[in-house]
Amino acid sequence: MIRPSPVSPAPLAQDVVIRTVSLTIRYGDFEAVKNVSLEFHRHQATALIGPSGCGKSTLLRALNRMNDFTLNCRATGRVEYAGRNIYDTGCDPVELRRRIGMVFQKPNPFPKSIYRNVAWGAMINGFRGDTDALVEQCLRRAGLWDEVKDKLKQNALQLSGGQQQRLCIARALALEPEVLLMDEPCSALDPIATSRIEDLIDQLKSRYTVILVTHNMQQAARVADRTAFLYLGELIEVDETPNMFTQPTHPKTQAYLTGRFG
Amino acid sequence: MTVHFVNLLDDLRRRSLRMAALVEDILNEACDALLLGDENLARRVILRDEGVDAEEVEVEKEVIRLLALYQPVGTDLRLLCTILKVNNDFERIADCAVNVAERAKHLVDHPVYRADVEIRELCNVVQQTLRRAIQAYGAEDLEAAQAIRRGDTVIDDLYARIIKDFTAEGATGPDNTAAMLDALSVAKNLERIADHATNIAEDVIYLITGQIVRHQS
Repeated sequence: MIRPSPVSPAPLAQDVVIRTVSLTIRYGDFEAVKNVSLEFHRHQATALIGPSGCGKSTLLRALNRMNDFTLNCRATGRVEYAGRNIYDTGCDPVELRRRIGMVFQKPNPFPKSIYRNVAWGAMINGFRGDTDALVEQCLRRAGLWDEVKDKLKQNALQLSGGQQQRLCIARALALEPEVLLMDEPCSALDPIATSRIEDLIDQLKSRYTVILVTHNMQQAARVADRTAFLYLGELIEVDETPNMFTQPTHPKTQAYLTGRFG
Repeated sequence: MTVHFVNLLDDLRRRSLRMAALVEDILNEACDALLLGDENLARRVILRDEGVDAEEVEVEKEVIRLLALYQPVGTDLRLLCTILKVNNDFERIADCAVNVAERAKHLVDHPVYRADVEIRELCNVVQQTLRRAIQAYGAEDLEAAQAIRRGDTVIDDLYARIIKDFTAEGATGPDNTAAMLDALSVAKNLERIADHATNIAEDVIYLITGQIVRHQS
């Protein structure tokens, strides 16, 4: 059940692509995200960090209404994107997820060819252009083209974990999203594959806005322009990443970053 | 591993403070050697510098090791950066103290220069400044660090006065000229020590606030 906020907030600043306003998300009676107001800037990577259960994945999934699939999950407040609250009736969640794509923790390619994995979403969305060119472009942007260009018909499940994750990113890019949500995209990958995804995020920022959930604080420090720290569902602190990692202002942020939590 | 890291960080901080105490002691001995004309004490200062040099390298190695293995952030990162920076200042202070001790050996027979009232005052003020900087570092005392930073101009003024007075009076004969130059070198090295103490105070301000205040009036 979605209840839009009665208060209409100020218009989005130019560089803000998406923002939450007093967003609260409940699973039944449990408040997983509490009154979070947070802005995500265009062509920047924003990392959401915090201990397990702090609500960062729930918040991420709220940004393209993936929580709609979760039983008993209710959101109040606003998530503003493209001039409207995405939780308003009349907002098409399928179209929304095309514009705000998602990459999950564990690579989840379709059990189909590499080519079909990339082309599939675009084709069922009525893509009428040059599919070969689209597949190549997306695989190039995902940094995978050189590795797979000679085996596009091969089953995607035969790729390594890191390659599968880049394929999932290419698949998301094929829908020409504006925002990419990434939920711990490297947690199932080895250090080399992780490094490639991090380099990729750095490149993707020039075209897309990236919002990333990560347990790895060094990863947030390496790839994110801004970092938000959540604790027990509350947004404790958000700042430019270098400030966050050298001069955190809130004692809870300081305690978490230095591992002195609890 | 957090507890282990915190313990290592505490150990390193204590080690840095022990180095601070050693350097403070060396400066005090260098000043005593100068003002009392004690050549043996001057030699002792010069010998003790080797220990400071060795310790500087060991502290630096440990900072690099902790940075590489633990990738600290926040106050832990600031503490390690501060330890690394003040470590360098301590080593340079010891070098300056050695320079003072070297000149003290030359000035044993020139009490007019080595125990000049303004040189004596400079010794006193610089020793106090270093002591206060080390205390501010140990206690992470922001107000004390800021006061040291403000007080640096007093030492600069005193140093300028010494140069003016010494050069105005001039020296009679080549022997006295050499002594006067030694005394001016002493003053220069003491003034440099005060600058390093001010650097330490500025690093303490960074440690506590995260703000880099160097080169700001």
